[in-house]
Amino acid sequence: MIRFSNVNKNYGSFQALVDINADVARSEVVVVCGPSGSGKSTLIRTVNRLEEIQSGSILFDGQDVHAKMRSKELNHLRSRIGFVFQSFNLFPHLSALENVALSPVTVNGVKREVAREKALQLLDRVGLAAKAGSYPGQLSGGQQQRVAIARALAMEPPAMLFDEPTSALDPEMVGEVLAVMKALAADGMTMMCVTHEMGFAREVADRVWFMDGGRILEEADPESFFSRPQHPRAQRFLSDLRH
Amino acid sequence: MLWDILSIIQDNWLLLLIGQYPNGPLGGFAATLILSVLSIALAFPLSVLLALARMSRSPFLLWPSTALVYIARGVPLLMLILWVYFMVPVLIGANIPGFVTMLVTLVIYEAAFLSEVVRAGIMALGRGQMDAARALGHSYLGAMWYIILPQALYNMMPSILSQFVSTIKETTLGYVINVPELTFAANQINNQLLTKPFQVFFILALVYYLVCWTLSHAATVLERRIARKRAGTTSGTLPVELQPQTLTVEP
Repeated sequence: MIRFSNVNKNYGSFQALVDINADVARSEVVVVCGPSGSGKSTLIRTVNRLEEIQSGSILFDGQDVHAKMRSKELNHLRSRIGFVFQSFNLFPHLSALENVALSPVTVNGVKREVAREKALQLLDRVGLAAKAGSYPGQLSGGQQQRVAIARALAMEPPAMLFDEPTSALDPEMVGEVLAVMKALAADGMTMMCVTHEMGFAREVADRVWFMDGGRILEEADPESFFSRPQHPRAQRFLSDLRH
Repeated sequence: MLWDILSIIQDNWLLLLIGQYPNGPLGGFAATLILSVLSIALAFPLSVLLALARMSRSPFLLWPSTALVYIARGVPLLMLILWVYFMVPVLIGANIPGFVTMLVTLVIYEAAFLSEVVRAGIMALGRGQMDAARALGHSYLGAMWYIILPQALYNMMPSILSQFVSTIKETTLGYVINVPELTFAANQINNQLLTKPFQVFFILALVYYLVCWTLSHAATVLERRIARKRAGTTSGTLPVELQPQTLTVEP
């Protein structure tokens, strides 16, 4: 579904991504973890071209994301990749329902009533049907993030990207968001998730990628990674986590 | 003194209101009002376009818009009015009435100032909103229209309003090119009476103050309504037809 081939990215003289070669298969859940500044967020943002790359290619569902293309095609491609941000980024001037229903109407040309109906169902799916008329300012962090997930799902993307979705939440709300993500994974969604939630990785991930210094240092299934990390940096990272 | 003011108004109210119409062009308060409303109505959309042009990456949009803003901000309005008044007929070979000159100059001048306010509002929103919009598949302009501008313009409403009020007061400069608006009418009265300048100009100041106050108040009311809606002190529940219906289970 997502294929990174020799991806390199730099900010001026700073190499943010170095020779990334990896795959996310359809319906697979990949968790990307690592220390701060390792390039995890940068990597996930290159998938829908919120960040540019200097060399290599990223294929999403067979399409080269960073090829030269018209903005209309890029917009269409982006609408097929769901993205959930660390800081939610809900639109504060719209209610939760309007947040979810806006993009299908204006980007995909869905009829308003149909979109609103679907939005209500999605909000119900994340457990927030009662808050459909509320504005983001009235919602807690966990609720806002769930609305953000519903908003991304409204575009019916074949894959979802999560950039530290629970990092800005206090521990009580982390659980409700993770529950939504687990349900999504169980439904067979292709997911790529940057997170520090190791419990989530253990339970749901099919594979874990460990990154540091812009490289993927280790790729393994969660069981192997957490009990027998191979790379010394990964071993250090996991032992630090346990303290 | 008060008696003086009232008697001046009583004698000259028609002149102050509509100038010398029908024996001359429409003037007085009516002209000021029309000039103000038209200037604001034209300058505001233009300013949004200018702001977007100033943030564009294409040099064809960036350079002309930046130049326009720099010039409008660097040259006194009075000079700009005189420039346009004397130069444009030479350039295009036809005579333009003072009212149109004044309108065009005010629109360009105000659009330049307003565009900076709008640009500040857009930039102050931060990357997150645009990122979220682009990630959902919105085009740049679509994101601007549905997501960024509604927020930016609302946030900058106090500044935008100040510019609107400035516009109303700047219409007085039409005096120098014989646009017969309210200041012109007041001056006519003063030149007739000669002994009561303070009273005449007090009336003038009062009228401008009332117009500007009305605009400020209207904007405050609008601001409060939108704030209440977004903060949700109005009810957060949906109208009945949109609430999810619980299914009844058939035995």
